[in-house]
Amino acid sequence: MDGGFPSDWRNDVLAALSQPVEEAPNTWPLTQQEYKRYGRQLIMPEIGLQGQLKLKNAKVLVIGVGGLGCPAIAYLAGAGVGTLGLVDGDVVEESNLHRQILHTVGGIGEAKVDSARRFVKELNPLVKIEEYKVRISGDNALQMIAPYDVVLDCTDTPASRYLISDSCVLLGKPLVSASALRTEGQLTIFNYPPRPAGDPAGGPCYRCIFPSPPPPEAVTSCGDGGILGPVVGVMGLLQALETIKAITAAGSADATAFSSFAEPAVNPPTMLTFSAYSSPQFRSIRLRPRKKGCASCSAEATVTAEALTSGSMDYIQFCGLTHPVNILTPKERVSALQYAEARKNISLSGKSHQVVDVREKVQFDLCHLYGSINVPFSIVSSLRNATTEVVQTPVLQQLKTSIGKGGGEPVFVVCRLGNDSQVAVRKFKELGFDGGGKIWIGDVRGGLKAWREDVDPSFPEY
Amino acid sequence: MASTKPPAGQFNMLYFAAASTYAKKQSEHLKAPLPVSELFDTLEQLYPGIKEKVLSSCMLTVNLGYVDLDDAAGIKIKEGDEVAIIPPVSSG
Repeated sequence: MDGGFPSDWRNDVLAALSQPVEEAPNTWPLTQQEYKRYGRQLIMPEIGLQGQLKLKNAKVLVIGVGGLGCPAIAYLAGAGVGTLGLVDGDVVEESNLHRQILHTVGGIGEAKVDSARRFVKELNPLVKIEEYKVRISGDNALQMIAPYDVVLDCTDTPASRYLISDSCVLLGKPLVSASALRTEGQLTIFNYPPRPAGDPAGGPCYRCIFPSPPPPEAVTSCGDGGILGPVVGVMGLLQALETIKAITAAGSADATAFSSFAEPAVNPPTMLTFSAYSSPQFRSIRLRPRKKGCASCSAEATVTAEALTSGSMDYIQFCGLTHPVNILTPKERVSALQYAEARKNISLSGKSHQVVDVREKVQFDLCHLYGSINVPFSIVSSLRNATTEVVQTPVLQQLKTSIGKGGGEPVFVVCRLGNDSQVAVRKFKELGFDGGGKIWIGDVRGGLKAWREDVDPSFPEY
Repeated sequence: MASTKPPAGQFNMLYFAAASTYAKKQSEHLKAPLPVSELFDTLEQLYPGIKEKVLSSCMLTVNLGYVDLDDAAGIKIKEGDEVAIIPPVSSG
């Protein structure tokens, strides 16, 4: 004892008083700013200091900066992923804004990648962004993906899904894949753990689960089929979550350790399906292991880096192309301008005509030409035994009666773009609605899109 | 989706994405037992054209497990099972 203080205390006090005025250089693994910014996830055992360091060292490639990519990017940037590569060749359109949450009114017309970069810089300037303002293709895929640790497929075509999966197998990258349409979504981590082709312990790839692509005419885009914002949002968020889980589960904190993805206990592969209007909304499906003889990830794999890069693997051809429908003769078709002229002349002469709109009712209710009647294409196209079914289908019975009453007046069929209308004209003729050729039935080329562009700019675009 | 418990002697058939668009329904009850190998033909009878346009590219699950059609010989769908047609969704 000296002066009433225990000697330990006195030493502490003296040490504190002798501290230099300037702060010592930060010797902690993260900066002060990082401790604060990531504090809420740092204190979780699932992340912790090691997890945060792995995120900081991780390089994640997000392919597609749309409905899936936007929420995924926001949360990955928020969580402190060190490097985010953003791939998209498109520009922001007004119809993107209801779901692509990084883009704003000010970004319309701007490259999606630029718009997203601005968002990320505002949210978390610590994240490094690499930009790729291109559409992914065979000649750039491997080069683009190679420097990254994890890949997110946020694209919107079957061709890009096969290409990205094949590339990830070739390069040994885990692929966090999601998709969404209308009210449904799917989520799977492919090639996880990412073992070389032929190693049955590796996770299945996209080809193992979907060996053959759907016929091109059966593929629906968000533009044609519609998409509910929160549905695609949920799927993008789940991609961010699974990416964070995969990164923080990996072997050690240094970036080179992603080869040890296989080391932590990886859950058996599953596909999570989301169906917003079903009960239950989520289903987790146990997937198969790698498929024997898979063209991509089996020992007999035929997809090689050379085939992919040289273009001899043609993904567009593999998935097929849709050609615009062209099944009517020129005499059975009129342009939007010709129809506008006919509409005027017919009404001036005191006669009438029939306009049949074959879009689905929900679209017909959005906007339609005055005087048109709605016969949804889904009804027309599902007719099997034609004649008996007309009697059983009120809307077709009405159309038949209405055409009959018209006394030979022409029947114009319209749809959104001018494809379904041609099929409908064929069907109506097969059903004998044209009175064996006495009544002209034809379609408006280019549909209501052409009507808006060539005749009436006030007709709504959707 | 009315994925109600199927009555005796039937199984629950679920349609997702393009399959539900084609069948114009999200679920129905079909007669059990049914060999997995006969499922697609059964569906083709109910929805002509569905095999080529939808099923050829789909994933099939029974009770939330993937079924490999190349390897399905002898597998039977039983009363009360939940069978699902899951087409690939590619948009996003």
